[in-house]
Amino acid sequence: MLKGRNLVLLLVAVLMVSSFNHAVPTQAQDSEPAIKALPCKEPGTLTMWVWDENWAKVIGDSIEAWKETYCPGAEVDLQVQPWDQYWDLLKTNAAGGELPDVFNVSQDRFFFYADNDALLDLQPYWDEYGVDTSLWGAGTVDPYRWGENNDLYAGPVNWDTIAIYYNKDMFDAAGLEYPTADWTWDDFAADAAALTTDDVYGALTYLEYQAGYPNWIAATGTTPVVEAGRTSCTLSDEGSLEALNFLYGLFEQGYMPDVTTVGGTSADDAFAFWSSGKVAMITGGSWKLPDAIAQVPFNWDVVQLPKNPETGRSRSIVHSVGYVAAANSDNADLAANLILYLVSDEGQRFFAEAGGVAPASPSPELQQMWIDSFGGEGKNIQAFVDALEDSQGVTVFDEIWDAMNSEMVTQIFDLGIPVEEAAAATCEFIDSQLPQ
Amino acid sequence: MVASVFSSALKLLGTTPLSRRKAMWGMALVAPNVLGLMFFFGIPVLIAFWTAFQDWNGIKPAQYAGFEKFELMQDDPYFETSLKNTIVLTLYTVPAGTVLALGAAVLLNQPLRGRSFFRTLYFLPVVTSTVAASVVWTWIFQPRYGIVNSWLEPLGYGETKWLTDPDYILVPIAAVAIWQRLGFNIVLFLAGLQAVPSILHEAATIDGANRWQRFLHVTLPMLSPTTFLVVVLGIISSFQIFDQIYVMTSRYVPGGVRHSASTLAYYLYERAFTGSDFGYGSAIALVLFGLILLVTVIQLSLQRFWVYYESNEG
Amino acid sequence: MLRRNQSYQRVGIPTALLSYIILGAGAVIMVMPFIWMASTACKPPIELNKIPVKWLPDNPVCGDNLDLLYDNSPRFNRYLLNSALLTIGRTLGQLVTCSLAAYGFARYRFPGRNIIFALCLALLMVPFQAILIPEWMLLKRLNWLNTFQGLIIPGTFSAFALFLLRQAFMQIPIEIEEAAVIDGANPLQVLWNVTLPLSGPALAAFAVITVQAAWNEFLYPLAIANTPDTRVVTIGISLLQGERRTPWNIIMMGSLLATLPMLMMFLLLQRYFIAGISASGVKR
Repeated sequence: MLKGRNLVLLLVAVLMVSSFNHAVPTQAQDSEPAIKALPCKEPGTLTMWVWDENWAKVIGDSIEAWKETYCPGAEVDLQVQPWDQYWDLLKTNAAGGELPDVFNVSQDRFFFYADNDALLDLQPYWDEYGVDTSLWGAGTVDPYRWGENNDLYAGPVNWDTIAIYYNKDMFDAAGLEYPTADWTWDDFAADAAALTTDDVYGALTYLEYQAGYPNWIAATGTTPVVEAGRTSCTLSDEGSLEALNFLYGLFEQGYMPDVTTVGGTSADDAFAFWSSGKVAMITGGSWKLPDAIAQVPFNWDVVQLPKNPETGRSRSIVHSVGYVAAANSDNADLAANLILYLVSDEGQRFFAEAGGVAPASPSPELQQMWIDSFGGEGKNIQAFVDALEDSQGVTVFDEIWDAMNSEMVTQIFDLGIPVEEAAAATCEFIDSQLPQ
Repeated sequence: MVASVFSSALKLLGTTPLSRRKAMWGMALVAPNVLGLMFFFGIPVLIAFWTAFQDWNGIKPAQYAGFEKFELMQDDPYFETSLKNTIVLTLYTVPAGTVLALGAAVLLNQPLRGRSFFRTLYFLPVVTSTVAASVVWTWIFQPRYGIVNSWLEPLGYGETKWLTDPDYILVPIAAVAIWQRLGFNIVLFLAGLQAVPSILHEAATIDGANRWQRFLHVTLPMLSPTTFLVVVLGIISSFQIFDQIYVMTSRYVPGGVRHSASTLAYYLYERAFTGSDFGYGSAIALVLFGLILLVTVIQLSLQRFWVYYESNEG
Repeated sequence: MLRRNQSYQRVGIPTALLSYIILGAGAVIMVMPFIWMASTACKPPIELNKIPVKWLPDNPVCGDNLDLLYDNSPRFNRYLLNSALLTIGRTLGQLVTCSLAAYGFARYRFPGRNIIFALCLALLMVPFQAILIPEWMLLKRLNWLNTFQGLIIPGTFSAFALFLLRQAFMQIPIEIEEAAVIDGANPLQVLWNVTLPLSGPALAAFAVITVQAAWNEFLYPLAIANTPDTRVVTIGISLLQGERRTPWNIIMMGSLLATLPMLMMFLLLQRYFIAGISASGVKR
């Protein structure tokens, strides 16, 4: 038992080294934490916004611990805003000159606030606290770097990657072997064909930016949708068209349903379609693990995305929610100290134990703790960790979100507009939204 | 000087002491609501209209932009689509919503057994959660498993993509808007039907009028103030349809493919909050406001031709 | 038997039958989403994602979901209470300010009356989304953000209720009021003793619509007063939905709980909509 656990730990440590392309100091158990919390200089009062009640509970517990251990006398007014209205409320508050001191952002939304100098540069604090920001995976923090010196403006909360969720019962019924991490697009296409029956579609893997077609574009070596740094649209590039045409081919053969049959354009709709037994394989995020374990009535497992036959790569979109601080905060030092605690090993332990999203912490111990939090379900949760190895950070931003997240998908996979035409039209719009 | 201003102000109020006293009472009665409205909503409206002439992304200081935002509209195909959709949705929802509500109210006003049960059922859409309603309606209009297409199958429309096809998307949105407002209009009509004095019906019956004639010549004219209220409020609210678009399209393409489901109220919100162009959002709001104002003024001036008030004070 | 015949005197059997068929068909469309809401509130997670929509749960777990709702949202009762405060405060406030103003506009001539009325009506025409930010700034200036006065007081002034009540008052024959004036009553007494009692159905309609609108208010309280102490139930429900997680059963259980007070209110008030107490001499 102990031996097995150590082996996994070692594997994770090795993975971390390779996946983040940076040397992690070799960690013996109970050694120095990867990121260490420090006491605050002076207690004060902070407001903080998050968008998810589950998160608010976890973050609330960690804030209590911070107040007790590192900053007695500090007060944090933690406010939960509904996800659907979070960004509009944030803009309302920003317009009134009152951003919360600390708040959660996603990578696609970070751009707007950074570009308008509304965020506190955390780099001086990382330096002061002695945090090596290169310990975090590139995909989790690079989209939060800003300015000439690539300063890191956010502390990462978590990471999400994408893998294939598949219905084992359907594989059994079709007499197919379960897929393994070394499968290719061709294997995937063959399985999708074999799994399709009168009532069941073989696969559904194009929906949404994060869980859908961009993962397939990334596998060709092309940056999906828009280049990092928001320089140009890539949807009409060769790699993008190859990926979109591959997916469209499966769709045209009837192996994938159209958007209206699924009943929506979100990855959640795809997940609902899958869990009601209408499709054998979907692309899904690591965030869906708790729901899958609680709600799916058949045998299932996850496997890494298939590899593009030419590049030999499978690349998952990786996203990380960040903690940022307002540039005009009255308590900037305190805000930075709280963020340091929340991303430290101590603060991240609360997320690792909660069994929801994966903690962003580079500590292998916490990563294992997160995997273990799902109990002995025997699911290949490791597939999501492995997907970090060759992953693609988020490069899109909110003005182009609907156009590439749902509109282009609906044009191609519902209204039958040719791939090249839909991609070109979307690129025309995206180009109009790029800086300059 | 002061005295003369005062006395001319007094003359404005009325020429006789009685009419002056009535005018003072009138102003005193309306003052609390009018002042409250002007303070809590009039001021924000003025600020919003001022914003229409600014370039403001919500964070950086606003800069005067003159009529730039209004010029922007002329070359904005999505603005044009939204304007067209606003008018089309009003034409879809107001006549149908008014006639259906009137019909249902007349039926529910009959001394039928179980009418309070039916009334409660017809009120349910008003209290059903919008989100729940949107989920069910998106399934009702779902092309593959939905009810609507299974009905239309024999007519050859069984494949219609109600919620994604730009040619059809306004139909389900109008249907949900009518559905949700129906209970509200029925309540107004039921209240209005109470104000029709029964003596008029009885007199008409004695004169030999049948049900349909009584409805046409007694109920409808006496109900005209309510109908006027329902139509004016219906047009105002249909010009502002937002929630239904938001909930019906957000599962597919928010605002519809190529903005096919976008209205001015929806588009102004999108430009302001998603596009961070609060000046443009406010400019669109100003146009929408002008449009509603125009239509309402026309209605107010036309009402004397068809709205019958019991008292002539109106 | 005799009594039934009597009460049906005015509706012939063919008419009644036709009415039932039409009303019944309409009722199906009216109730479907409500049924889905109620049945989803009792579904276990495993039955949630059925496609197409499943109308009744195989294994109803209403009690479990109710417990889960309060586990997820321990302060849900507080949110219901806040919604009640908002609703009662706003409805009573509007009843006072709007019936006074509606009476003033309906019965008194004063300079600028039509322009002022048109201005009030014009405020109805500005979509709230357009004034969200200025409204927020105004209340911030007043230091009313996240307070109950900010939540309640601005909503006690209404152009909509003003319009509704003015239309109702204008339907009342003026001679009845004039009789009271001759008896020496002042305008407030006339309004209270004559006009309001004669406006029962209109006041009931006002109450149903205003209460329901206040109870369902979402964007305004969200922007103005979203703290654990001042949060209303609509926001409490929307908080059950996460970015990537939609526990429909819990959300619908919350929605169902929030709906029940509205249904009760409607059942209480709908007797004011019942025709004919005075209308049909035949009946009583």
